[in-house]
Amino acid sequence: MIRFIHLADVHLGFAPDRGFPWSSEREEEIWETFRRVIASISKNPVDCLFIAGDLFHRQPLLRELKEVNYLFSTIPDTCVFLMAGNHDYIKQGSFYKGFQWEPNVVFYQEEKPLTVKAAGLNVYVTGLSYHHQEILEPLYDSLKPVKEDGFHVLLAHGGDEKHIPMNMKALAASGFDYIALGHIHKPEAVLRDKIIYPGDLEPLERNDMGQRGYVEGRFENGRVKTRFVPFACRSYQKLVLTVREESTQFSLEEMMKMDLMKRGGKHIYKVILQGTRAPETLIFPEKLKALGNVVEVLDETRPAYDLEMLLKRYGGTLVGDYIAHFLEKDRTLVEEKALYYGIQALLETGFPTGR
Amino acid sequence: MIIRRLTIKNFGKIHDKTMKLSPGINVLYGENESGKTTVHIFLKSMLYGISRLRGRAAKTDAYSTYEPWENPSVYGGTVWFENGGKSFRLTRNFHKAHQVNEFLCEDDGELLDIEKGDLEAVLEGVSEIVYENTVSVAQLKSVTGQDLVRELQNYMASYQGTGDSSVDLVRAMQMLKMTRKGFQVQAQKRQKETEKEKEKIAVSMEYVRKDMDKLMEQQEEVFSQEESLQMTREDDGEEFLNERIERAEGKVRTWGWMMAVTFIAAVLGTTGLWLLFPGVMYPGILLGAAGLLLLAWEFLRYRRLNDELERRQRTKNRWMQKQERLRWNRESIQESFKEKEMTLENLAADYREVEERAYLPLSEELEVEALNLAMETIEALSGNIHNQVGEKLRLRTSRILSEITGGKYREVLMDAGFHMMVNTQERTIPLASLSRGTMEQIYFALRMAAGELLCGKVRFPVILDDVFGMYDEERLAAVLRWLNKEHRQVIISTCHKREMEILEKEGIPYKKLPL
Repeated sequence: MIRFIHLADVHLGFAPDRGFPWSSEREEEIWETFRRVIASISKNPVDCLFIAGDLFHRQPLLRELKEVNYLFSTIPDTCVFLMAGNHDYIKQGSFYKGFQWEPNVVFYQEEKPLTVKAAGLNVYVTGLSYHHQEILEPLYDSLKPVKEDGFHVLLAHGGDEKHIPMNMKALAASGFDYIALGHIHKPEAVLRDKIIYPGDLEPLERNDMGQRGYVEGRFENGRVKTRFVPFACRSYQKLVLTVREESTQFSLEEMMKMDLMKRGGKHIYKVILQGTRAPETLIFPEKLKALGNVVEVLDETRPAYDLEMLLKRYGGTLVGDYIAHFLEKDRTLVEEKALYYGIQALLETGFPTGR
Repeated sequence: MIIRRLTIKNFGKIHDKTMKLSPGINVLYGENESGKTTVHIFLKSMLYGISRLRGRAAKTDAYSTYEPWENPSVYGGTVWFENGGKSFRLTRNFHKAHQVNEFLCEDDGELLDIEKGDLEAVLEGVSEIVYENTVSVAQLKSVTGQDLVRELQNYMASYQGTGDSSVDLVRAMQMLKMTRKGFQVQAQKRQKETEKEKEKIAVSMEYVRKDMDKLMEQQEEVFSQEESLQMTREDDGEEFLNERIERAEGKVRTWGWMMAVTFIAAVLGTTGLWLLFPGVMYPGILLGAAGLLLLAWEFLRYRRLNDELERRQRTKNRWMQKQERLRWNRESIQESFKEKEMTLENLAADYREVEERAYLPLSEELEVEALNLAMETIEALSGNIHNQVGEKLRLRTSRILSEITGGKYREVLMDAGFHMMVNTQERTIPLASLSRGTMEQIYFALRMAAGELLCGKVRFPVILDDVFGMYDEERLAAVLRWLNKEHRQVIISTCHKREMEILEKEGIPYKKLPL
């Protein structure tokens, strides 16, 4: 049985959410979580560790490579397979060039595929490293495993049109037992237990919603079994606040405080205001930002206008024409917003009447 | 449209009241608080449903205001009316738990469906707001002359631009502009933050560059030290020292040999003399002594040379150490320099990233775009209405005004700044210079004209709610004569007997509806 861990897109050195107070803390946490993975392997060793590119966010510094190499030296019984991705690609003067790795580390130097056998194991890993930020050729599609008995792995990074496009059907039929992918930050099993993006180890930006971690697997009797292991120390979460007609700024703030308490203050939130508000109620999204780690507040609320009713009631006048103008078509987001802005302005600034 | 009969079952303070209306002039007469307004609201609610609001506003909506105190589950009544040559009967119960809406065409007994829009079809699409704007005419609310002028001008402008006298286009646009300003300020703030981010990275880059300069200086220092030690060609330096050591070694060796030769020569010489001339002592002793002396001198020389050799070896070791240290220095400086160089490149990449992100559309820009679209759309649609209504309304208002003032005022004018004037035969007079009575007449003419233009073919009855308070008798008589001439259904609601007296005096037929 071969046990392995597959991770990707660690982006060491990246400072997420630039400009927000937690940014530098996050930068350190990215390193810390990677150290934790190595420490957990050291406690409970696996046979192979696949790192499918973008271990670093930018060009690694020599001391950073030394640090990573030192970490690998603490897991001497694990064979580490490492490649450079499009972010830490091996450019002119890269410290990756000629770096002396620990004996248990396989680093792919070339930009053409090479198959390496793990020392003392029947594991054959095919891989390459990026030497450019973009590679448009589908370098992986036609690869086949070597004709040996054992566990055949393809370590690959990319999959979109500018980063080695991949034909997943061809890859599925290529004969590799497992294809360890990287580059896409959302965890995704393209083919269950076979072609997997583990996602980024720590979430890196506000759209990386949900849990993050790595893939743990084993190869036994010619079959691969995997499971996703959540490992990130925080997550980005969507916090939907449902606004109602009687809601006020104060009630929203209280509601948000409660939600934050329930879910934990460490997480980073994208707050979305939904529902309908009384037309005269003003909401200040900026004030909600101060209540916790909030990257963004999206106000999707609409004033509580009954468009059909208003259209009937105001038919033959400007307000009616205005609503009809927008109701006739499928509205874009801008048109939707314009519709409500216009109605509100026309109705609320009017002359007082006995209506 | 002609209202034939009203039966108010239970609405506000009115219970079980039936009124038959004439197709001409009707006078709804009652004391203050007797329920004249209630009758108007009843009629409107029958045609358009009663207005019910949600939330806080529910307490003051029409539903709550006119909900009967006694027997509230019966809340409504019946209206008989004619339109387009057909007779209809409309019965409603507004109560939320017992809602009834029955709409019958009496000519063919067909039951129509309000939910499906049959009533709207009969009313030919005239909406509730148009009805409010045209059917029911209340007195001008303003008290002072200035306000009155403004109110009248607003009415005219609003009608012309929006078809709705209660919409204030200017203020609506102002509100949109102010909202836009708010978002623009926020977007600017965001941009400033990006600038600050860029600044921060630029500062870090500057620090790294300074570090690199310092490293360059240090490297220069090492170079010059190496040069001063003539170490730039390091093999030569080492060779030179080795040669020096070798030369010293050679001398030491030579002198060693010389000492050995001297010793052997002295021993052999002395022993030879001894054997050849046994008994002769002196030459042997002399030679031995000379040999010893020479040996001693040679030994001293040898020791000095040996010291020199050791010194030269120490020198070489020192030199080697120093060279080693300098090389190590130079290498570590070069390594740091490369490291800094990479850091600088990474920072430059960060800088580009921040810059690229600054081009992404901000959420505020979306709002600004939406607000712009709202303003453009309002302007365009208002322009359409103005084209259709504006000039026609002005002409018709002028015509009616001319008729009810006996030709004294010929024309109503409005300039680009929405200032209204009237044209007499001789000159134009600004609104502010007119009497309140005349302004009421202009207002009346405007409302009548709007009713004709906005309602199209339906010709709703006109409900005049206490509007003649400011009219003198002559003006009132002229208006009533005009209404009679127009052959339309009119409901004059009043708490005075004046209107009826003048109608009788003028010989105009009317029906009195007592409350």
